Amino acid sequence: MWSVVKSVLAALLGVQSNQKREEDFSSGKPAAYLVTGVVITLLFVLLLIFLAMFAAR
Amino acid sequence: MRSRWRWLMAISLAASGAQAQANGWNMPVGVTDVSSDIYGLHMTIFWICVVIGVVVFGAMFYSLFRYRHSKGAKAAHFHEHTSVEVLWTAIPILILVGMAVPATATLKNMYDSSDAELDVMITGQQWRWRYEYLGEDVAFTSNMSTPRTQISGEEARGEHYLLEVDEPLVLPINRKVRFLMTSDDVIHSWWVPDLAVKQDTIPGFINENWVKINEPGIYRGQCAELCGIDHGFMPVVVHAVEEEEFENWLADRKEAAEQEAMGVDREWEMDELVERGESVYQSICSSCHQAEGQGAPPAFPALANNEQLISDVDWHLDKVINGVSGAAMPAFRSTLNPVELAAVVTYSRNAWGNDTGDVVQPSEVAELIAQ
Repeated sequence: MWSVVKSVLAALLGVQSNQKREEDFSSGKPAAYLVTGVVITLLFVLLLIFLAMFAAR
Repeated sequence: MRSRWRWLMAISLAASGAQAQANGWNMPVGVTDVSSDIYGLHMTIFWICVVIGVVVFGAMFYSLFRYRHSKGAKAAHFHEHTSVEVLWTAIPILILVGMAVPATATLKNMYDSSDAELDVMITGQQWRWRYEYLGEDVAFTSNMSTPRTQISGEEARGEHYLLEVDEPLVLPINRKVRFLMTSDDVIHSWWVPDLAVKQDTIPGFINENWVKINEPGIYRGQCAELCGIDHGFMPVVVHAVEEEEFENWLADRKEAAEQEAMGVDREWEMDELVERGESVYQSICSSCHQAEGQGAPPAFPALANNEQLISDVDWHLDKVINGVSGAAMPAFRSTLNPVELAAVVTYSRNAWGNDTGDVVQPSEVAELIAQ
């Protein structure tokens, strides 16, 4: 699970090591990456909304 | 080693030279807090870009030179370097966020037009600006005053060629003034660089902006949105004055407006109307219908010896008051007051060989407008 989150975060930043990428592609289910990706993106959007509301106060 | 420092010296000298030249090329610092904030942001971001450019291109040119083929350089073959990749992703993020924080603060301030002490409605019209001091019963149009002879080259250009008006917008310093901006016809843009205001005026919409001017002076600008044939001939002039002077000016304008309102009811002599009408004609009508009423057919019909105009005073009044839909002729019912309308119609019915002898009284025009 933690490994999936780390890979998704690395994807958001756009930097991933080759070794980790090969691990991801040899084990784990694609659905887990998709769901984690959507959840983390939503969290990121919520964080931005929160920051914007905080700044607009 | 020493020669490398000499390079740096040369670069910094060139940079300071650029700064010295900036007076003619750069944006103005302006005369409001917002305009100097914008200038500060512009310069900060400019220098960040300069540093990035020097570092990136410096590294590139240094590598190209130092590891050149003729010196036997061999290319390194490697696929990835995670920590360097993280670094060159993180640094731009930090730079961008670092620029966004002060920029957003300035933007927020620019959009906060609350607590204004004076409201001025700015209306764009082809091709002039109308200013209305809301709640003060003071309104006027501001027309370019550069003579047409200067534009056509028959006369030498003046100091403020195309940037001068008959009546400037007068504003007090040290007071927050809110602008409510709209347009009667097409999209215009009210732009005064020294005030850091460039706002589109859009028919059917009201945009807001505000200024708080720190220094008295005359600030000039232009329409910044292509709005038709005379787009270049509708300048903005703002006259910023001390608060006391502003109050006096406003009181004078109010009194003049009251006098004008009283003038509607009295009977005017033909000579008075013709004299008044000539000045209205030259500032409002002559840009299209030309100084001698000869027009510029087919877009702008001639008024001199125009059979329909000469024979039908009601038709003439209707066109001036209500405009011609689908043509360039705007409706002047709200731009000009009844005295000005009556004067300009009387003038054009008795000028350039149109010797009708007709006199149109301001009271008649007021009745037509009220209908």
